[in-house]
Amino acid sequence: MRIRLLCLLASGAVLHAATGDLRGVWKADGKAYLNLETAGVIVDPPSGKIPYRPEARIRVAENFAKRASADPDARCFQPGVPRATGLPYRLQILENARAVYIVYERAHSYRILYLDGRPHNDGLPYTMGDSRAHWEGSTLVADVASFSDQTWLDGAGHYHSDQLHVVERYTRTSPETIAYEATIEDPTVFTAPWKLRVTLRRQPGAELTEDECEVDSNGARHHVAPSKDSK
Amino acid sequence: MQGVWQSAVISAAFDVQAHEADDQIPAGPSVIVDPPDGKLPYLPEAAKQAKLNWDQRDRDPVGYCHPHGVPRQLVPPFPLEVVQDGDYFAILSETEHSVRVIPLNGRPHRKNYWAWMGDSRGHWERDTLVVDVSGLNGKTWLDQAGNFVDENEKVVERFTMTGPDRILYEATVSDPTVYSRPWTMRIPLARRPKNTELIEYDCVEGERDVVHHQNLQRQRAK
Repeated sequence: MRIRLLCLLASGAVLHAATGDLRGVWKADGKAYLNLETAGVIVDPPSGKIPYRPEARIRVAENFAKRASADPDARCFQPGVPRATGLPYRLQILENARAVYIVYERAHSYRILYLDGRPHNDGLPYTMGDSRAHWEGSTLVADVASFSDQTWLDGAGHYHSDQLHVVERYTRTSPETIAYEATIEDPTVFTAPWKLRVTLRRQPGAELTEDECEVDSNGARHHVAPSKDSK
Repeated sequence: MQGVWQSAVISAAFDVQAHEADDQIPAGPSVIVDPPDGKLPYLPEAAKQAKLNWDQRDRDPVGYCHPHGVPRQLVPPFPLEVVQDGDYFAILSETEHSVRVIPLNGRPHRKNYWAWMGDSRGHWERDTLVVDVSGLNGKTWLDQAGNFVDENEKVVERFTMTGPDRILYEATVSDPTVYSRPWTMRIPLARRPKNTELIEYDCVEGERDVVHHQNLQRQRAK
């Protein structure tokens, strides 16, 4: 009995050592949310520019021109991936044996990154993608697929189609930071996969604040924070 | 209590009080256990408002994709996942992606915070999780029948496992500008099969009817 207990404790210790710990409240450094290409977050290709197909570049310019009214995030739809990570709002990561859970302040979105090795739910238009993850040492690697074509990648009109596929890597690099890396491919929009990197910084003592959408008398959609005025 | 759960009383989503069957509405008993007559103890003015809401059921805030509020988060006949991690107890709803991350560490309530899902603080009393909810914005309904609360609503919830596959959920609601006394509802939550996954539930711009929600669950080929 005692030996079995010791074995259990030992295997638990090994299990813990073989994974990371991403739990906590975090927020991205930098300005990836404004414009990925000017924020200096694209690490591959070395040019820092998104490798668009020529016709897709034209669409980006059109999106940029009408961004005030067309940006899905400004109209408070769920932000999509990887955009949700780079926003200037907090997120909270919870973990259990089944999954890693990311709750985003923005649009009260959440994602469940399943760890049980089951395959993607293919072909469904998830705004936040369908996430299947595993630990590689202390790095959480998430494969995200089954996207809708309804989200943008930032506030400058960078976009994707429903062929988007993202591989995310979350690595705890210090008690205060997570290195977040996303490799993005979408053969109908980009000529090659590309990669961005953002630092998530711990927000000690912070708690997520609700963000909800309300429609004004003109039919426009606005984010509303939980203040006395929103009562 | 970790896992995927679902209300075992489908009819309460339509009306928390006893009601007859109607078009697409299953008949059901009241889930109100106090007062003993199973009726919501509305003040006279509030009873008029509830009647008005009933006549305007298309104004249900959930039909506009707003978060459920409390206690309605636990009521819809759709799955929700409970996550327990250290100092946090989280409830993730499939519908409307309503979510609460509830601190269990004695943190005080936030001040001047008025949210659809309120401000929740939990603690354990033996095997029962007790959650104190304030900061509710008063825009939510309790069900599809137009039963409602206002911004003076406060809730004390109790989650107790009565078996490996059941949680007894109890909510005591006080709201002195709507109700003449606090009242209590009780709903068993049933565990869903182990591999059940929440599917994203999102709203599409301009669509204002529950029927038109982009419910991926329905599209999912099974």
